[in-house]
Amino acid sequence: MIRLILSRLGQMLLMMAAVSLILFAVFDTEKYRKRIAVAELGGLAVSALSQSDYDAWLDKKGLNAPLHTRYVNWIAGLTRGDFGYSIEKDTAVGPLVGAHLARTGLLALFTLALVIPLALLLGVLAGMREASRTDRTISTIAIVTTSIPEIAIAIFLTALFALGLGWLPAKSAMHGGFEMSKLVLPVLTLVIFDFGYITRITRASMAQVMGAEYIRTAVLKGLPQSRIIVRHALRNALIAPFTIIVLQINWLISGLIVIETFFQYGGIGKLLVEAARFGDVQVIQAITLLAVAAAVLSQLISDIGYAWLNPRMRSGAPA
Amino acid sequence: MNRQALHPLLTPLARKAESGEVDRREFLRIAALLGCHVALPAAASAQAPLAGDTAQTRLPFPPDDPAAKSGGILRVAMPVQKMHDPATYAWAEMSNQTRHIIEYLTITGPDNITRPMLAERWQASGDLRTWTFHLRRNIRWHNGDVFTARDVAWNIRRWLDSRLGSSNIALSTFSAMLEEVPAGRKTGNKRARPAKRIAANAIEIIDAYTIRLNLTRPVLSVPEDFYAYPTAILHPSFKPPFWKNPVGTGPFALKQLAVASKCILQRARDVSGTPLPYWGGKVYLDEIHYYHYDQDNQLAALATGEVDAIYAFNAEQMEFAKSIDGVISSAPTGRTLCCRMRLDRKPFDNKKLRQALALATDAEAIRTLVFPNGGIRGENHHVAPLHPEYFPLPKQQRDAAAARRLLREAGYPNGLTLTISVGNTDGPWQQAICEALRDQWKEAGIQLNISLVPASKYWNIWKQATFGATAWLHRPLGTMSLSLAYRAASPWNETRFDDPQFERLLNDAEAVADPRRRKLKMEAVEKRLQDAAIMIQPVWRPEYTMTSRRVRGYNAHPSQYHQFNKVWLA
Repeated sequence: MIRLILSRLGQMLLMMAAVSLILFAVFDTEKYRKRIAVAELGGLAVSALSQSDYDAWLDKKGLNAPLHTRYVNWIAGLTRGDFGYSIEKDTAVGPLVGAHLARTGLLALFTLALVIPLALLLGVLAGMREASRTDRTISTIAIVTTSIPEIAIAIFLTALFALGLGWLPAKSAMHGGFEMSKLVLPVLTLVIFDFGYITRITRASMAQVMGAEYIRTAVLKGLPQSRIIVRHALRNALIAPFTIIVLQINWLISGLIVIETFFQYGGIGKLLVEAARFGDVQVIQAITLLAVAAAVLSQLISDIGYAWLNPRMRSGAPA
Repeated sequence: MNRQALHPLLTPLARKAESGEVDRREFLRIAALLGCHVALPAAASAQAPLAGDTAQTRLPFPPDDPAAKSGGILRVAMPVQKMHDPATYAWAEMSNQTRHIIEYLTITGPDNITRPMLAERWQASGDLRTWTFHLRRNIRWHNGDVFTARDVAWNIRRWLDSRLGSSNIALSTFSAMLEEVPAGRKTGNKRARPAKRIAANAIEIIDAYTIRLNLTRPVLSVPEDFYAYPTAILHPSFKPPFWKNPVGTGPFALKQLAVASKCILQRARDVSGTPLPYWGGKVYLDEIHYYHYDQDNQLAALATGEVDAIYAFNAEQMEFAKSIDGVISSAPTGRTLCCRMRLDRKPFDNKKLRQALALATDAEAIRTLVFPNGGIRGENHHVAPLHPEYFPLPKQQRDAAAARRLLREAGYPNGLTLTISVGNTDGPWQQAICEALRDQWKEAGIQLNISLVPASKYWNIWKQATFGATAWLHRPLGTMSLSLAYRAASPWNETRFDDPQFERLLNDAEAVADPRRRKLKMEAVEKRLQDAAIMIQPVWRPEYTMTSRRVRGYNAHPSQYHQFNKVWLA
């Protein structure tokens, strides 16, 4: 297990190094430098700058140094916990990304807190009796909600609960501090979009387990159904959903661009969109590294959890 | 009538206005354009007074509403951006965040007329090379310092330092205060752009409250240039970032800034907490809160009461806006889309082809389609009806058959296929215009393909595209846009138009201070550009904004500038 963890962490560092180098190379062009200058000063100002003044401006912003110098400086900064400076936001990248990550984390936490019990419950109920009316109803709902794009769900919920009934705020920008009411619509959107997928995985896994010989043996022994499900079926049925649920963390940390932008929620996704529009490379770098870390770490947690839930994996036997 | 300091051009006109021979509103408009505050007796005309034409005649703001109530917080949805250095602002939103803290020498109102603000009046020499600004004597900075001509000179000198990177240096007024020095250092194989420095005697401090600008060439737009958004006057102690040291002359002070979240302004106060006296008269709001919302999300925030006003909305959001209980405010603007052609590239080096495109276009139909609730028909010469020098030319009529004939003469008997690049940098209405052109041009045998470019990428190719749809911002004078876009030597000459006769005519027009005479000169300028057919410019877009019903005195501005001195909450 320790070898697995070390190997995954090593992979993560290698991936971060490769991705950051690629990003540095991609943004190391004259066109990009010009774009930053136009975004910062305006097109008219840049067109009026003499060449020497333009070069001096690039020097001042640290954009004129050779790629390897900037990269080494950036890595050196990272070792000191300095993620660079956001030209667009006029602030240090570390605290900026940290604050946005905390907000996205909060959104993810509330979403998972609702999605996990809901999806597992519905998935187990559907998988317990395959092809029953309960199964068909839950499966239909799950397929429908999963197939609707999250933006469409967001628009529908906003039209209904904010603009129509006036029960909730339409947007989730927390200008005056945290407000629970502003978190309701984005969380609800994500829950509706996400629960169906996990429900379907849980249902399939549960249905497979319920058809296994050891469950049939338990039924023939006359054990009560509740005991069969809780003691014998559930643990095995949860292996597949657990993996999927952990991988949702990756999506919830770095994949909420649409929802955060639509609801004006100040999380990582919205910050990435703004940085990409502006060309704020140090913010893009930091968020990319964060996304790589989230992807690798969630996979690692998934592997560890999988091994814990599956005794064959723990003992080193073939799965 | 107070004829003290009356402009020489105004004296005969004033007599006619008093006798009723000249329309009173027109007289006040011309007086304002010439930098004079004048008041006529209300009995001289039954027309409603213009802004500034009341007891507050010396102030550039709208008159006080007798029903106005003091107090309250105005919450405005707008992108909240950084406040680093007002002289290098690249967005109007940035300037709105500081507009009520630091102020300008002049102010251009929602009516597109520029009036004195920190200045009390201005005078221009007959050749428009010497401009004298007389400053108000009752203005103090928030730190107690008296506002003087030295402060203005300090700001202008700072803008003219080419190392600062301020766009002000490219404005006609300030570029006319520079002289070239030997070329700057080259980078790679690129041509070095020449360096410039401030000309001797360009800025003269006559006395504590009078400053004179000596320009190297005639400039008409000096008052308008002093209200360009990066020209706010800073205290000479200023060191960036502004948010750390926000000293101004305005009625508000910065309380809190969180980029991409909120910007809170509160009434400027002294150390004891007492509001500082303000030179501009009554101000009603206690605080102004800017909350960060992208433009697409502002109406929804207004609809659910999260804000009281928004920055702007687009034409395609009009139906949603109408469904909200609030007040829609619109303003005509000089903002437009120029479907412009590169004259140095085929096939647009062919004038008959270009004229055929103009003939195949029905601008009024496009305006009705794209802006059914407003907008003004364009005339392919980039001067708008709201510009004071606009001369109305006969309207161009669509004639598809004639366009087809012209195409034949141009060497395209079987028609041709063109591709236009559009970036929707100001909203999807730009693409809608291109699609309308595509439909209209079919009848004349022209197949138009539309190449959609991401908005952020369009500004990388706007000058390179052979056929591109470029959005141009509002400028108070039509001649300002013409000088920027159609003079051969201008860095923004995206069409590569090079017509000495046009430039002579434009020079003639720009050398005339009297707006009525200038208007006559503009006939030839507009005609020359229209005949050259270097752009298809079907519409002037309106500016839309919206407030809740409790907000009073909030008007749409053609440049999206916020002027909240007289805004109040019911």
